[in-house]
Amino acid sequence: MKQVALIGSPNSGKSLLFNRITGLNQKVANFPGITVDMASGHSQSHADWRFIDFPGVYSLTALSGEEQAAIAGFTTLLERGELDLVVAIVDATRLDKGLGFALQALSLCQRHNVPMLIAANMIDVLERHNLTLDCDGLGGALAVPVIPLSARSGSGLDLLNSAVEKLLETGQPPAQASVADLIGGDEQGHWRAQQLAEQYGPKGDLLVVSQTRIDSWFLHSWFGGALFFAIMYLFFQSIFTWAAPAMDAVESAIGWLAERVTPLFPEGLAQDFVHDALFGGIGAFLVFVPQIFVLTVVVGILEDSGYLARAAVICHRPLRFFGLTGKSFIPMLSGVACAIPGIYAARTIESPLRRRLTYMAIPLMPCSARLPVYALLIAAFIPAQSALGGLFGWQGLAMFGIYLFGIVTALMVTALVSRSDSQANQDLPFVLEMPPYRLPSWRPLLRGAWERSALFVTKAGQIIFIVTVIIWLLGYFPNYGSSLADSWLGQIGRFIEPVFAPIGLDWQYGVALITSFLAREVFVGTLGALYGIAAQGDEFVGLADRVAASGLSLGSGVALLILFAIALQCVSTLAVLRRESGSWNLPIKLFIAYGLLAYALAWLAFQMTTLFSG
Amino acid sequence: MTLWQLPAGSSATIAALDEKLDSRYRQRIRELGFSVGATVRCILQPGLGAPRQYAINNSVYSLDRQVADAIVCKAQP
Repeated sequence: MKQVALIGSPNSGKSLLFNRITGLNQKVANFPGITVDMASGHSQSHADWRFIDFPGVYSLTALSGEEQAAIAGFTTLLERGELDLVVAIVDATRLDKGLGFALQALSLCQRHNVPMLIAANMIDVLERHNLTLDCDGLGGALAVPVIPLSARSGSGLDLLNSAVEKLLETGQPPAQASVADLIGGDEQGHWRAQQLAEQYGPKGDLLVVSQTRIDSWFLHSWFGGALFFAIMYLFFQSIFTWAAPAMDAVESAIGWLAERVTPLFPEGLAQDFVHDALFGGIGAFLVFVPQIFVLTVVVGILEDSGYLARAAVICHRPLRFFGLTGKSFIPMLSGVACAIPGIYAARTIESPLRRRLTYMAIPLMPCSARLPVYALLIAAFIPAQSALGGLFGWQGLAMFGIYLFGIVTALMVTALVSRSDSQANQDLPFVLEMPPYRLPSWRPLLRGAWERSALFVTKAGQIIFIVTVIIWLLGYFPNYGSSLADSWLGQIGRFIEPVFAPIGLDWQYGVALITSFLAREVFVGTLGALYGIAAQGDEFVGLADRVAASGLSLGSGVALLILFAIALQCVSTLAVLRRESGSWNLPIKLFIAYGLLAYALAWLAFQMTTLFSG
Repeated sequence: MTLWQLPAGSSATIAALDEKLDSRYRQRIRELGFSVGATVRCILQPGLGAPRQYAINNSVYSLDRQVADAIVCKAQP
């Protein structure tokens, strides 16, 4: 087995090349620092080549968490002699930036007698602008092969494979006389990189000019801000309004299937289980898969286009007011899909204080696990009226409102905490590389959305299945579903009912809430199973209709929304927070604090809504 | 003058990096190309105190006031 390291500066296309070579689906995006962990996989063309994708770094001097991990991982493998080849990827359109680190890596490879080659990525962009890169000249000056390729289109991959094969066979280390000759006496090599880029790289600033032209709109003082809000509004609308037809189709399909499959089982226990637990419980949460898919695609479009870095710039100054930095924006937006990648993405924030504040904000971001609960409650209370041919609707607006509530709460928390810290006004420098604008790559985007949806179904589905079966069994026995209130679950529910009575929730919602502490979306499955038992024998009805008919008051609905918006009901998030922050201190404090805050605000909202709605 | 004072569309040569900026950040902006003698161009100045855009060769970076004020430069004619 031969081990090959893929290294390079942030946003040079390492992960895209890694995916091309291995056929895997490592997350890629068009902004610096998306890869925060190492990934490995075998080459599709040579099963005995194992490629390791390292997070991007600007130099061998680490500044942020993901850089430390990447540099430590790379140097350790080199020192142990576990690398057979190093492939340094440089962005051919911005050669000086990538070459600085490539030169440092080359000196390390020389020291450890490991061969290296340079992959000049994004050669297709140069060709499109009639620009060229002198690969032979650069390769000659560095005495290493320089391979032009495009990880995006796949062109040049054959050349890369041949070069890798040759170097792995010969094991020939870089033939430089000395590191000092190579980098011209400058220990960082960046000055030398600039000279080499000027000599062999593309001439002129055509790419900067075209990028600036678009930036003058997206970063315009007023227009840029308005555009930002418009994009964010469309983002939240898309999750509800655009996914609605697919959600309706899934719900109808589940209902259709339930009506045909249930009679195939013998009447009694088996038929009740299939109808209530399987179609009622599991089916209720499958309805929300199209929303997860749409959400992932829209986040992916924003990431791929290069707009996220602009959004970070626009948000930097407002976020400073709340103790955060523009760099907090990307982890927080990732948190809208799922808190876990958001927490990992926060590694790119160099300041420990800002990173900690970002950790505090992420669990309050409206993640996709909250989506089924929000969608269920909104569908039960808000009329499904829409305008402009279904592009905008009240339900979408309500979704925007509850999402905004989570975001505002997160900002309030970080503002309060940062103001109580004497160091809060220091340690805020902001330096961010602006990636070029690109059209999204649809294939990896759709594949990523498909895999995320599949993960939602398989991972959350397992927990939901187990919880649903337990809830159904507890609700069905000992009286075989004749009375849910007198079942074992009814007895447990009445025991915990006093906790939820002040916010107008009966024992059934109390049980669903308790189970949701495993994972938020379990709430939907539990309610589905509970209402399935209660409405035994009825034909299959959508869960939102059952919630609407359950007598849940508007005040309790609002209280439930607030509870879910704030409480930290996610075991996985707590575990990842512990790993990234280095102790249980932060996750435990957040779990307790957000739980108490959620309950207090839910109670307040219930009282006020009840007062005003009479 | 500092880089923050450089008008949009103008170029300058970097003369020094002020030590008031933490050494780690000085190191990072040097790695990005903001080293003494390099030519930098201010390409965009969004309003409301937002970070400004600077081009070094074919790369564009966004720097906030704290960083750009720590880069001493000499305007090019």
